Parts: sequence; C-alpha cells; structure tokens
Amino acid sequence: MLHRRLYQFLIIYSLGLSGLFLIKYTLNLSNYVIPGPANLWATCREVWLRYFFDTGDTLAVAIIGHITSTCLAIFVGIVGRQATWVGSFVKVAAYNVQAYPIVALAPIIFILLGDGFISRLLIAAMICYFPILLSVLGIMAEPVVDIEHFYRITGRMRWQLEIKIRAFENMNKLITVIAGSATLAMAGTIVAEFIAANAGIGYSIRIALYQSDLSKILIALFLIGLSLSVYQGLLEFSGYLAKKKWEVPKGGIV
Amino acid sequence: MAKTAKTYCGLAGLCVFILIVCSSIAMAADPSVEVTYRLKWLFNTSVVGDLYAKDYGFFDKAGLSVTIKEGGPERDAIKELELGYAQFGVASADQVIRARSKGAPVVVIAQLFQVNPLQWIYRADTMTVKNISDLKGRTVGITYGGNDETIMRTLLAKENITEQDVKLFSVRYDYTPFYQKKVDIWPVYRNSQGITVGDKLRAEGEEIGFLDPAGFGVKFVANSVVTSEKMLKERPEVVKAFVTALIQAWEASLSPENEQKALKLLEKYDKDTTADVRKRQLALTAGFVKPSPGVRIGTIDLSAWKQTEDIMLKLKQIPEPVKVEKAINSSMMEKSK
Repeated sequence: MLHRRLYQFLIIYSLGLSGLFLIKYTLNLSNYVIPGPANLWATCREVWLRYFFDTGDTLAVAIIGHITSTCLAIFVGIVGRQATWVGSFVKVAAYNVQAYPIVALAPIIFILLGDGFISRLLIAAMICYFPILLSVLGIMAEPVVDIEHFYRITGRMRWQLEIKIRAFENMNKLITVIAGSATLAMAGTIVAEFIAANAGIGYSIRIALYQSDLSKILIALFLIGLSLSVYQGLLEFSGYLAKKKWEVPKGGIV
Repeated sequence: MAKTAKTYCGLAGLCVFILIVCSSIAMAADPSVEVTYRLKWLFNTSVVGDLYAKDYGFFDKAGLSVTIKEGGPERDAIKELELGYAQFGVASADQVIRARSKGAPVVVIAQLFQVNPLQWIYRADTMTVKNISDLKGRTVGITYGGNDETIMRTLLAKENITEQDVKLFSVRYDYTPFYQKKVDIWPVYRNSQGITVGDKLRAEGEEIGFLDPAGFGVKFVANSVVTSEKMLKERPEVVKAFVTALIQAWEASLSPENEQKALKLLEKYDKDTTADVRKRQLALTAGFVKPSPGVRIGTIDLSAWKQTEDIMLKLKQIPEPVKVEKAINSSMMEKSK
C-alpha cells in the first residue's frame, strides 16, 4: 500500500519533470525559466536539508489539523445524522460555511491570531474539515436498512450500535475520504504559510517565488509529494488494519 | 453535375480572393506593430509614464500598438520575454542580475527610477536613524527573499551589525505588526505605501521618519525597462520606437504643466487611492524618476548597477559575477534623444 503510493508518486513526478525538460530543450529556454538537471541538482544539494525540515514542520501541522478536523467532523456528523431540528441545523450550517473561500478568510485569521502555529493549524483544519464533515453526514444519515431493521424490531438498537453499523458498512468510503482529505490538510497548511506564516515549506516556496527560483520550488514540490504519499499510505494502511480487526473471523465465530 | 461543381469552386475561389484583399487593406490601414509590455506591479502612480504613453497616444504616434499588462508578485517580465508572451517589461536590478546569472538573454534598455523608492518607515518620536548603528536592539521588518532583505543586509553589513544585534521580522502586505508596535521599522515604497502608512500614524498623533538606504551609500537599482537580446537584434527599430515614445511620455507625465492630465489618468486606473494621496504620490514619484532637472529620464546609472551586482555577489545571491554591463544597452536611450 505504502510502497505503491510512493512509486506512483515518483512516476508522476518524473513524468512532470521530464515534460518540463522537454519544453526547456525544445524551446531552448534558459535556466532562469526552467532549470536544467545540473542546476536542479546543485540547488537540491544546497537546500534539501532545510526544505526537508520545513516540509516536516508543515506535515506536522497538517497532521494535527487533519486529526482535529476528522474528530470534529465525526462528532458533528454523528449529531447531524438525526432527522431532528438540531441535526437539520447542523447540516445547513455545514453547507453554508463551506461556501466561504478559506483564502478570503485567511488574512482575517492571521490578523487576529498572528502568523504563528495556531493560524496555520486553524486554516489546515478548516480546509479539510468540510469535505470530511459532508461525507460523514452523508454516511451517518443513511440507514443500513437490512441490518438496522433486525435490531429495531428486537428493541436492541442503541445510538452507538447504529453508528457502528453505518461506519462499518461504509468503511471503505470513510477511509477514502479521510485519506483524500489529508491532501487538503497539507494544501491548506501550505496555503496558510504562503499567505502569511513565517515557517514551513509554503513560506519557503514564497521566498523562492520572490527570487524566481523554479528549481527550489520543484524540490519543495518533490518533498511535499513524498511526505504526503507516505502519510496517505499510512492512513490507508491504518484503515486496512481497522477493517480487518472489525471483520468477522473465518468460521463465523465472533 | 460537373458544371455545378465548377460554379461552387469558382465561388469559393472568389471568396478567398475577397478575404485576402480585405485583410491586406486592413493591414495597410493599421500598420502599427503590436507589442506587449509587462509591468512589475499593479497600475498605480509608479507607472504613470507607462500609462501616459498608452492613453495620450505616444505609442500610437511611434507606430506601436502596445498592450500594457499589470504585474504582481507572481509575475515575472523576464520569463515572459523569453517565452514570447511579452516583448518589453519592467524588472528590478536584482531580477535582471539573477536572470543573467542563469543565462536569461535579457537586456536593460532604460532605467526608470534613478533613486530607489524603497525605504523604511519608523516612528520618529520613539527612535531616530541617523546612523545604521541606531538599529541595534530594534526589530527590523524585511521581506525574506525580497530586494529589501538584500538592501537591509547590506546596510547592516556595512556597519558590522550582525543578526544578534537586531531582530529581523518577516513582513507581508499586512501592516498590523507595525501598527501594533511589534516592529520598529517597516519597509515601504516611499511614493506609495510610505504616504498612506504615514498618514495613518500622523492621524494617531505620531511623528514619522524614513530610512533611505541611498543616504547611507547603498544604491540598489529599482525599476528598469527590459527586452530580450533577440528583440534587440532582430527588431532594433521597434525597440528604439518603444524607448523613445516611453521616455517622452514619462517626461510629459511628470512635467508640471501636465499634472492635471496625469492625475486624471491615475484617477482612471487607480480608483482605490484618494485624489489627495494620488497627487502627493505623483510629486514624490517625480523626485525618484527625475531627481534633478539635469537628469534625463531613463538614464542608466552603470555605477549603481555594478554596486547592485557587488552586493548580490557578497550576499551570495549569485554564484559568480555576471558582468552586468553586458546586460545593459544604453544605445537606445542615446538614439532616442
């Protein structure tokens, strides 16, 4: 799972880089527009360690933001699954708040909370929160009629059991959404750093952009892609383990 | 059947002929050469001469149809020249030198700002900067990666002030840390934000001062007009026409008798700035572009370019000398006289 994620990323990155080199040499462009392999290698040797730690910093914020937003989305999703007034209100609020582009809200967040860790975390969490919430709401509000019917008519249905049934029946969907939203958490953190923070790989990309240094940006993209592939691979593996643990063992004995 | 086909062929041929004739007539009626000019920043007072050339027909008279495009932090005129998206552009000296060090075939054909408008604003009632050593113990705002970082590091290095002596603060477009007094001294373009930020502080009853790097011997070249080596070699008449029209327009736009015309133009392009501020911005811009009556607008200050290269070399922003004089072509300025 993890190794598949990694080699898929390496293939995509290599294809992208080859495409850039093809354009460079076809159009005879200078290293200023598109860096050549030697230039890229020299820059890599110069900045990789610093960028590695910057990416680690960003990934750490993204993971914390991702976990926070996942927990919050599951909590709100469970509350909002009910066909009550509160449930309906939570759903409407979730849909409406999603309509605000986070890039427009980000400057306000930075003015109020400063350009440190909290602002980055909040933006990362906000960007990945809503897609998870909407999926969780969708899953939790949809009854698994065949199974739930049995527990209802026998009077053994409790809310915890209802959630367990719905979560288990939609485990693949949940894992896909949570793993997919990791990309959003990372993107959110990078956007936040790019806009106003003073740390992380997004901040380094901004500096590189000031200096029109595409080779630095390409190295940053490589490290971002690599770290994200590892994180997503680990999430998928965790989901696989969780599903395996919940599954009925062979022979049917629980 | 054969006759019908022949008739259709004849009609199609006639249509093609008419189209060719019409397009030839249209081309003869509009002989202007189309070029694109990419600015470094958004439309504001700092580009008044560029806009003046376009709106008051200087480019038209020179036989040029110029599309002026706004710049911005993500725009790079030098890259656009190389990719063929623009034929002329505005770039700062550090951009040109960095591009040359990576083999970009960019050439400087005029220097718009004789004095760099980049300065630092501070509260004069809490500090004063008569010497760079006055910055010791202060929190100094810089844009990491920007040319203000290079300039400030040069100023500090001249006085042997290290990063332990000052606290460097990473700045963005939001001035809140400066207003909140978390940062003592903040980089601004004297002719744009310098006025608006200064007004806000004065409104709060605070005195302001500016640190001008040129006053401490650091001449770091700002906006200059650039083109590609290919353009200069293959279409020198277009380059000459462009530079001539542009410099004439800048002279006209900053001339006192045309002040109202220039302000009217700025009102059209820079609606977010008030009339009073635009007027003061124009007066200050004139001082940076034409610091004295004897200075011809567009003159390339070679010594300042060499100093800029030396600074970048010392700060290891370029791996080796680029011999910046090779990137400068003053001949178009000479011919435009």
